[in-house]
Amino acid sequence: MIELTAQDWQAIQLTLKLCLYTTLILLLLGTPLAWWLAQGQSRVRTAIQALVALPLVLPPTVLGFYLLLLLGPHGAVGGTLEQLGFHHLAFSFTGILIGSVIYSLPFTVQPLLESFRRMGPRPLEVAQTLGAGKLDQLFSVVLPLCRGGFIVAATLTFAHTLGEFGVILMLGGSIPGETQVLSVLIYDHTEAMNYSQAHQLSLGLLIAAFVVLFIVYGLNKRFDRGQLT
Amino acid sequence: MTDSTHFPSDACDKRSWWHKLSWAFDRNSTTNRPKQPTVATELSIAGTLKRGDFCLQLNDTLPLHGITALFGRSGCGKTSLLRAIAGLDRHPEAHIHFGSTPWQHGKHFLPVHQRRIGMVFQESSLLPHLSVKQNLLYGYHRLSKTSPRHLQPAQVIEWLELAALLPQKPEQLSGGQRQRVALGRALLSQPQLLLLDEPLASLDQQSRNEIQPFLQRIARQSGIPMLLVSHQLDEVVKLADQLVLMQDGRIHSQGPLPQQLLRPELAAIGAMSLLYANSSGCQGHLLQLTIGEQQLQLPAPLHSTTAAPASIKPVSYRLRIQARDVALSLQPLTDSSVSNQLQVRITGFNPAPHPAETLVQLDLAGQPLQALLTKQSVERLGLQLGQLVYAQVKAVALD
Repeated sequence: MIELTAQDWQAIQLTLKLCLYTTLILLLLGTPLAWWLAQGQSRVRTAIQALVALPLVLPPTVLGFYLLLLLGPHGAVGGTLEQLGFHHLAFSFTGILIGSVIYSLPFTVQPLLESFRRMGPRPLEVAQTLGAGKLDQLFSVVLPLCRGGFIVAATLTFAHTLGEFGVILMLGGSIPGETQVLSVLIYDHTEAMNYSQAHQLSLGLLIAAFVVLFIVYGLNKRFDRGQLT
Repeated sequence: MTDSTHFPSDACDKRSWWHKLSWAFDRNSTTNRPKQPTVATELSIAGTLKRGDFCLQLNDTLPLHGITALFGRSGCGKTSLLRAIAGLDRHPEAHIHFGSTPWQHGKHFLPVHQRRIGMVFQESSLLPHLSVKQNLLYGYHRLSKTSPRHLQPAQVIEWLELAALLPQKPEQLSGGQRQRVALGRALLSQPQLLLLDEPLASLDQQSRNEIQPFLQRIARQSGIPMLLVSHQLDEVVKLADQLVLMQDGRIHSQGPLPQQLLRPELAAIGAMSLLYANSSGCQGHLLQLTIGEQQLQLPAPLHSTTAAPASIKPVSYRLRIQARDVALSLQPLTDSSVSNQLQVRITGFNPAPHPAETLVQLDLAGQPLQALLTKQSVERLGLQLGQLVYAQVKAVALD
């Protein structure tokens, strides 16, 4: 039956850590970005929205390639870090975390944007006229009304990071405990003809992804509201 | 007092942690919500309000007592004006002063949540994730500790007959009920000014008739000045004390409603008059009314659930009289079924929408009355300015 090696467990742990960190960072970054995008239509907003959606259409290798250049020892970011006495970010957990954040950005921003747009400006206008300040509006109106959007955004981001491969392989390689996540390990197992081990992990991932998506669609139905009544 | 009207009691009344936190962040500026109600008698607004291609030029002062109607065609800028007053739209080229308090002047802009206004929107605007009770108390709980609470939840719930709705969710309510809750919610935030943006427009006639008496009752009993946006003249004549006529991107004219109704622009929509009368009781089923020295008798309104109880019947009534329901004679008629005959003086003749008709302006103990006659009748009777004649009133609507 299921016999996972220490290496497998390490990869599972690393993958979950990467997914969790990515999701948390993206919720913090994506919420203000989606909010700003929902405030209207302008050329700048359209450009930013296109930029956010780029990872949807680009081959992950393209993204990984440029990130490798940027974060590597001779890149703008990596080089500067080296000069300051730090280590560059290629082939490190921080590096693949940055890659994941960029790669999964559209999966956070899109559901949030949609739920902010569906809510519309009216509930906040109501709250303002009743004496609620900005932060009060966020907690007493936006979060409860867009709860569905937040849950879907978090779940999709998590699930999408789970399935990340190209960016990580390009940027992080396959260092156990540092950058060797499940998808990369499955690739390694397959390369080494360890089909049974690849099979275990693949099936596990498949089931996990299905369960997550099933939950997302279930929630979508349940939270399919947010309009004023 | 029943459980459902007892405030504050349960968990939803308690301020949540975010509320306290937000309080600290949102209110650390020096421009806190004023703690005392500013006693302002007028609202002045000057400058240009722009929205897309539309432009509203203003340099006006609106009265702040009773109900003031902002009246005009759809798209004449009524709602834009109301939103500017609320602070929901920011127009850099406009100055708005509430009494002597600047709400917007140059770079100074008092945020909406510090203006202490109540607003009722055209379509339902209850927060769907909160119950009726939580909606009602949303603004009430956000009042600062020291600010006065002139209106208590129990009282507003009684006025608007909301007790039975409290545990429900907004989605369970009818359109009329939702607007009643929205009105109560706005009132409980203890506003110094209530802004009503066509609050009845999205309702069917039955719900409309259901809410109108509430609006009148609240204006009378709370003493909070109201600005009512409307494009329906009959609604305005039922509710308002003053009328601000908006036309061609500006305020065309404003003044007390009875006088404003004489304007040709309004007469073209529906020539009618508004009279204020005092009642001296009922005889049989006839309500005895006096206007100056003159007497009127009208069938007393049948008691309805929404009307005030018999014990506190208003002594003052508003009478709506269509100009075409008024006939004139040179002598009092003795052989007519019309029993309400009022001696009036002719003060003017205005053109009517139809070329064969004339609107005769009359003075009844200082109040204006209009009669719609054919030009032929005016000539036949030889009616002239200053002449004393008898007005036969065939139909009156009582409010």
